[in-house]
Amino acid sequence: MRGKEAPRALLVLLVVLVLQLTVVLDIRIGGAHPDLILGLAIAAGLAGGTERGAIVGFLSGLALDLFLTTPFGLSALVGTGVGVAAGQLVAAGVDRTNWLFVPGVAALGSAIGVIMFAVLGAVLGQPDTLTVGLGAAVGVVTVVNGVLGYLLVRACNWAFGQERSGSAWQGPLVAGDRH
Amino acid sequence: MLVLVSVTLITFDERSGTHHITSGLKSVAHDVFSPLTSGVNDILRPIGDFFAGSVNYGSLQSENQQLQATIGRLRLQLNQTAALREQVRELDSLEHLPYLGSLPIVTAQMTQFDLSNFDADITLDKGRSSGVLVGMPVVGAGGLVGQVVQASHGTAIVQLITDSRSSVGVSFGPNNQTYATATGQGPGNPLSVQYIPAQTHLHKGEFMYTNGLADGEFPPNIPVGRLHSFKATVGSGAMTVTMTPVADLDELAYVDVVQWEPKL
Repeated sequence: MRGKEAPRALLVLLVVLVLQLTVVLDIRIGGAHPDLILGLAIAAGLAGGTERGAIVGFLSGLALDLFLTTPFGLSALVGTGVGVAAGQLVAAGVDRTNWLFVPGVAALGSAIGVIMFAVLGAVLGQPDTLTVGLGAAVGVVTVVNGVLGYLLVRACNWAFGQERSGSAWQGPLVAGDRH
Repeated sequence: MLVLVSVTLITFDERSGTHHITSGLKSVAHDVFSPLTSGVNDILRPIGDFFAGSVNYGSLQSENQQLQATIGRLRLQLNQTAALREQVRELDSLEHLPYLGSLPIVTAQMTQFDLSNFDADITLDKGRSSGVLVGMPVVGAGGLVGQVVQASHGTAIVQLITDSRSSVGVSFGPNNQTYATATGQGPGNPLSVQYIPAQTHLHKGEFMYTNGLADGEFPPNIPVGRLHSFKATVGSGAMTVTMTPVADLDELAYVDVVQWEPKL
């Protein structure tokens, strides 16, 4: 990230983090709430490529870790993973012209992220993460991030200075592809 | 590279020797973000409450009436038990036993709950500046709620007794002479009560209280839960027992932090 990207990306991260810690926590379906931080990591990968996906995923996860009682760094690890994966998908040249591409990747990436968090949580001494509420968490996070996928990608496009280049997910290149 | 950093952070956090570094970072983050999240909540929650209230006005009115009736019943019980509590207090002081009613408390408001989909915790609006420290028990809604696991200057995080990392020493039965350990099984699930011998006589609905053991992690005799189910496991010397928390952990608004520090 260079130029005005970093402050813009930090601003987007800050806004999403505050929303996650306030409004989003009040939205409960089946005891689970959405996870916009995970959605932001995926969106950053889709809009900015592998490198930006990894950085935004890591930083946003780390910021969320500051407020959780789960092991410090766990959300950062998951965020990095899904950010990189989303970026790789774009770099691999997958057809992005389909309008379902962004919601689909956001939803699938979210499901993988939540399951990854649960598995790692279980490995690190919280066994019930694999059983209690996993289905509800996967369902809620998947649906909400799928629905908000375009919005999050648009926010990331603005952060990466790509707002004038049209829809990044439909373009031939995303910022990360140029490196 | 970032994956490696994440794994390193997790490893450091799991090691008790470096845990204070992440605790310090978390404390600072809470102090910085607390006014921000509080402000956003103050702006947005009334809007949400307005719409929720307009849709559910009838049921809210009915709920209000039920709550008024409950308050009346509780006032009656309080008046009836005032004399008994005084007797217990006198007996406890004679025996030099700590009694919950004799310990100082800090009343705090819950501001957030279950920050992660896999945690059972709540955030309070009181922290170290109000005397809330890590390890202090938290009671409310008629029973034990949990224990403070993080405390910043102005906020604290309480791990609920339903969290899978929570473990509480309990006692029950005649004269509270049977000891066991209650372990959380995740939000919304009954607690698992372990180490109860197979021949133990149990009653469904029986109260279980903190036993004051385990280096005095909790003061004794705080109601923790009521026996939910039990069955003898074939070939095992122990029974499979579950209990539901006495406190309604889904409806917490205000709780009391008991200024009691474990004798570690």
